[in-house]
Amino acid sequence: MKSSLWDKGFHLFAWGCSLVLVAAVSIILGFLIVKGYHTLAPSLIFGDTPFWEALLLRRQVFDGLFPAMVGTLCLIVLAIVFAIPLGLFTGIFLAEYASPKVKWLFSLVFDILAGIPSIVVGLFGFSITLFLHHCFFDRLYPCLLISALSLAFLVLPYMIRTTQMALENLPMDVRMTAPSLGATKFQNIFYVLLPASLSIIVSGIILSIGRCAEDTAVIMLTGAVATAGIPRSVFASFEALPFYIYYISSQYADHSELMKGYGACLVLIFICMILFVLAHWIKQRLAQKLLYRS
Amino acid sequence: MKVNKLKNKLKNKLVWVGILVLGLAGFTGLCAAGELDVFAGENQVLRISGGTAHIPVMKAVARKIMTFNSKIQITIAGGGSGAGIKQVGEGLVDIGNSGRQATEGEVNKYGLKMYKWAIDGVAAVANPKNSVKALSTQQLQDIFSGKIISWKAVGGEDKSINVYTRDTASGTRSVFWKKALKKSDITAKANVVVSNGAMKTAVNNDPYSIGYVSVGFIDAGVAPLALDGIAPTMDAVKSGQYKVVRGLFSNTKGEAKGLAKKFIDYLMGPDGQALAAAKGFIPVN
Amino acid sequence: MVREKFPKFVFMGASLLSVGITLAILGFMVALAYPLFARGMFWKMLIQPWSPDQDLFGLGPMIVGTLSIASLAVCISLPISCGVACFVGIIHPRGKGRTLRQMVEAMTAIPTVIYGFVGIFLLVPLVRELFSQGSGMCIFSAGIMLGVLISPTMILFFIQSFTLVPQPYLNAADALGANTVQKFFYIVLPCAWKSMATGLILSFGRAMGDTLIALMISGNAVGFPGSLLDSARTLTAHIGLIIAADFDSIEFKTLFVCGICLYAMTGIGVILVRFLAGKGRVK
Repeated sequence: MKSSLWDKGFHLFAWGCSLVLVAAVSIILGFLIVKGYHTLAPSLIFGDTPFWEALLLRRQVFDGLFPAMVGTLCLIVLAIVFAIPLGLFTGIFLAEYASPKVKWLFSLVFDILAGIPSIVVGLFGFSITLFLHHCFFDRLYPCLLISALSLAFLVLPYMIRTTQMALENLPMDVRMTAPSLGATKFQNIFYVLLPASLSIIVSGIILSIGRCAEDTAVIMLTGAVATAGIPRSVFASFEALPFYIYYISSQYADHSELMKGYGACLVLIFICMILFVLAHWIKQRLAQKLLYRS
Repeated sequence: MKVNKLKNKLKNKLVWVGILVLGLAGFTGLCAAGELDVFAGENQVLRISGGTAHIPVMKAVARKIMTFNSKIQITIAGGGSGAGIKQVGEGLVDIGNSGRQATEGEVNKYGLKMYKWAIDGVAAVANPKNSVKALSTQQLQDIFSGKIISWKAVGGEDKSINVYTRDTASGTRSVFWKKALKKSDITAKANVVVSNGAMKTAVNNDPYSIGYVSVGFIDAGVAPLALDGIAPTMDAVKSGQYKVVRGLFSNTKGEAKGLAKKFIDYLMGPDGQALAAAKGFIPVN
Repeated sequence: MVREKFPKFVFMGASLLSVGITLAILGFMVALAYPLFARGMFWKMLIQPWSPDQDLFGLGPMIVGTLSIASLAVCISLPISCGVACFVGIIHPRGKGRTLRQMVEAMTAIPTVIYGFVGIFLLVPLVRELFSQGSGMCIFSAGIMLGVLISPTMILFFIQSFTLVPQPYLNAADALGANTVQKFFYIVLPCAWKSMATGLILSFGRAMGDTLIALMISGNAVGFPGSLLDSARTLTAHIGLIIAADFDSIEFKTLFVCGICLYAMTGIGVILVRFLAGKGRVK
């Protein structure tokens, strides 16, 4: 009887916790939706400028999210361009070429990299900028390039871990076939292993993209500003969506700006959710492929 | 037939009126745009940072310039007066705004040139719902240093006072500390906000708050507190009755040149000064 | 042979670069904080208060702030994560559990700044009115939001730990007539506690390293926090706030000490996790 009481209590606890969590998330999202849904209109993104002129970059957009969205997009593209090759190659090295001791040591280092707070990475980016500014390039200031590099450092451990895991979890028959036919190690990796693990790697890339889109601490220190328009070059300051939200939350000038902040929150959540669902769907497809193959 | 002739005559008249109106509009447009003409040939990037009190005026001027010539790009960042001076001195930005005069040391170290384009006051503010509307200097000092902790002690409700202050890079803070608080302590328990806009938001959202903000930023969201009987209105600042005043400066490293010079000239010209006045500051010209 | 060596060198080069970057981050911090080391100020800084007007640049309040907010967040998140993980992993592995698990996975995609934004406009006024003391921007509010932030990661970690329990054990327990709570405490917990501890440590590290929530919600006061309802500043928010200061000043150098502290804290966490994972596991 006593154990049944404990059991009931346990079930109740589990149910209670789940309800608390669901309630918390619903309140957070519901609050934003209720406050912000009426700002969801083209004017949220493009302000007063007609959208075709904004998209063709013929006129600047004031009072709209468009520059911030373009800034975030440029950031993501640049950061991924840096992170993918570095992460992929490192992951391949760890999975295929490294000796156990080296692997242990390197994965310890990368675990540390994964644990470093994002603002420390931003601080690193900022200090590199100062260093280069003083010593080499007099015209270098915190800019899109530095931010993208810092973001690349941030998502590097994800890429490395994903690639390593994907390659290591390939079944033996896939790994052994090509070498048994005379392929070199590199040919095996390039023509067989990578394509086989492509889905997991791609979903890892998409999750990294999500991380780049949402991070604020790194870009806060390395080049994001409150007002910048569309970035002209990689050496320009830029706006970004999460930074815009942070900026608005602490210094909105009037009610309409605050409402724009709510709208921006909804846009950012929407973007992140889309990326997440995409990554999830790609992973599911792989699961289906494996299921039907075996 | 006659009706048609009449219609044609009317149409012709309308066309002429239309042309006249357009011509007048174009003429006035040309006159108004006269000041912006200097920006016609430019296509560079102008970097501005520093004092947060300056930001609304900077944004308004930048918008006008960028709408006139969309090839120019002006980026505006905050950071506070200290940051503005430092960054322009180090060459990280073209114009560094500050809400206080650069010290001699700073001027000598970087070779700064200061351009004052408005006068502003710094006022203690509380939430509009607060019944307290005036404080003496002693009361203000005691509240900010943490000696007085309840609004009841100064004539308000029995609620604890939430003090908000700025970070040390802020020019607004240094002016307030020197001239209003007469250099007395600011409690270590005060919440720190990063800009004038943030201070306004914080005081607006907290019914029991007290903070300090640039007079130009005061609107219906915050209630200024009279200091020693003098309310911090624009007129009081202009006449010199309200003592806690400061100039708004834009600084450059060495003489301003190129796009920065044009920007500062526009600020000091009639259009720029009108914009500054519209944003709640007192123009110098 | 050369063609075989070349890819290996490229991959090895990439790995060395990645490792180099990690070590460079620490190296830069140490190098830029060096003037403080040289003056012997480093250890004192960790306990002194922060008062630039009196020439005191100690990080004591910030360290206390970081630890208190992170601890509160973990204290709030731990029971909830346990409960949800049990729900998903043990009680309802299919059906309701699957849906809840997908929701938790989706939660990991919510950006931090959103939590901060909602915290400012929903939670802070609530806390202020509820306790009628303080401005609502305090350790308590930041701790709650941070707890919600780190919960999904902890939950997913715990769920994964529960799958480490060998199925035959669970089957044997069922055969002997054990109910859920007995299964949990006598079988699942002993098998999975190491993995759960790993999740706990990593979540604590994540809580310590979070910037936005602390910056937006915890008030950023410079004094040592005295109670849960006091405004506090974390190391991460301190970096965000002081970054605009004069580069040559001592204030700015303290940022690098902040960085070193954070790096060290997360580094210790990772090494602890490795240690927990067992010395016998050479992968």
